[in-house]
Amino acid sequence: MLNIGKERVPLCEGPSRRSFLQLGTTGMATLSLPTLFKLEALGAVKNSDAKIRNCITIFLVGSPGQLDTWDMKPDAPAEVRGKFKPVQTNVNGIQICEHFPMMSKMMDKVALIRSLHHRTGATHENGQRWMMTGHDFNADSVKPHLGSVISRVFGQKGELPCNIVLPGPIGNTGAGPLHGQTSGYLGSAHEPFFLNSDPANKDFKVGDLEVAQGQGNNRLDARKQLLTQLDDIQRRTESRSTQMHDSAYDRAFRLLTSPKAKQAFDLNQENEKLRDRYGRNTFGQSCLMARRMVENGVRFVTVNHFDTVFNLSCWDMHADGGGLNNTYLDYERLLCPQFDIAFTALLEDLQQRGMLEETVVAVLSEFGRTPRINPKGGRDHYPNAWTNFLAGGNIRGGQVIGSTDKIGSRPNDFPVEPPQILASIYHAMGINLDTTMMPGPGDRPVRLVEAEPIRQLFS
Amino acid sequence: MEQKFEGTPKSEIRMDGHKLVRTEVSNDWGSLLRWVITQNGKEVNVHNARPMLNYEPKLSTKGSHEAVLQMWKYVDYKKDAQGEFTNSKFVEVSNKIAFTV
Repeated sequence: MLNIGKERVPLCEGPSRRSFLQLGTTGMATLSLPTLFKLEALGAVKNSDAKIRNCITIFLVGSPGQLDTWDMKPDAPAEVRGKFKPVQTNVNGIQICEHFPMMSKMMDKVALIRSLHHRTGATHENGQRWMMTGHDFNADSVKPHLGSVISRVFGQKGELPCNIVLPGPIGNTGAGPLHGQTSGYLGSAHEPFFLNSDPANKDFKVGDLEVAQGQGNNRLDARKQLLTQLDDIQRRTESRSTQMHDSAYDRAFRLLTSPKAKQAFDLNQENEKLRDRYGRNTFGQSCLMARRMVENGVRFVTVNHFDTVFNLSCWDMHADGGGLNNTYLDYERLLCPQFDIAFTALLEDLQQRGMLEETVVAVLSEFGRTPRINPKGGRDHYPNAWTNFLAGGNIRGGQVIGSTDKIGSRPNDFPVEPPQILASIYHAMGINLDTTMMPGPGDRPVRLVEAEPIRQLFS
Repeated sequence: MEQKFEGTPKSEIRMDGHKLVRTEVSNDWGSLLRWVITQNGKEVNVHNARPMLNYEPKLSTKGSHEAVLQMWKYVDYKKDAQGEFTNSKFVEVSNKIAFTV
């Protein structure tokens, strides 16, 4: 019996994590591990039996400065407090940056976590790995993205993949290819589906879903045959535990031939005013697409706000005069308004459709930025303190978890580390972390994340 | 991936008593939207137009004024030595209206 949230789901007859521990290694040898994994993989959850929620994660690549956004220190010296002013939100005592006027009216729905920090390094990739997997790691021990974990635990609900990344994967952010947006040891069956197309383009289409003109059923059948052959190779080369779900090739083919999938990706079906409300830009339309994905059965959607930090306007505010020349002007004129509009549109839209209670919205980033403004007027990487936030699902909005010192340089109260955020997301999605495990390297059962949820976040 | 911006933003503005009133912006790029009030071509008041559909400007200048909505048009992030954008700029996204204080 597997517990998912408050429900006991009669699908998994394997033992719980606790009973694994009680059995010890002797007992482990007699367990039918394949059976456990198979049952978990095939149907960890039945929608009708358990309170399972979905998740939309917005990842702010580059990372906003905590002092310029959601943890302002108006009484700090000028070189610390920065150029922006705080405004009162609709929750007494909570102030945020003046450039989030719409978010300030919805703070009752948002739980700010102001005491996040990590300890392994100040590259973007360190932070991406932490926030997307709950670990830092090297190439020898790649850990799965939290969407891949959700895919492994819940499985695919319909024709669309369980785990989608919009509009595309994170690319070059300076220190290598390990961004934490792959399935790691969970195998290709749980790889995120990357849209790799910009939904803000007027003629937006998902390339993989378009059958080329003149390509008839014979060509499709031939392609299917080829995919099947590739699939066989994959099955021979991957470990047994990664094969419990259909292969990535099967999923791709289902997507190619599914009218429902094609319809789900069609933003033209949305009201024009609603599209305007999200912002007619890549990020806004990706957030709208995220809602459509969840509405059509996708469990976990990640929206990457930017795929790089170089030579474009993004949150990485070094003001270096070169390829990392983002400044306060980028925040004021583009980034803060764009985020403010899209994020609040998403919350409003989910609420109006009755989906907010069943959808956790997480806004994550890699780290904070240096409390003291650098000589060129920017702020540099700073993993010692930053603010992220959650909304939706059973998250209790209108609260602040943790705090930082007078200059936003370190947690002052209730320090929070990235794995606690992931644990909270899993918990908010209805997963009981005590009883749900997944096959780790060598099929050894491992916890989804080595941390406990932040209990104060929940109603 | 650079952000793409679809369409051309458009809003209608009018005076309602002492207040400037705007419609929702169609094809809204989602960047900074601001009221700009000028007198003899010179900016005398600039205010964030995102929070509300209306704005009552407090003007110390007397006489004829002109109001318009502007939105930030992001082209790229290139900046000059003073830190100002070189290609990205504010563009007008509404009709202009004249009023007297």
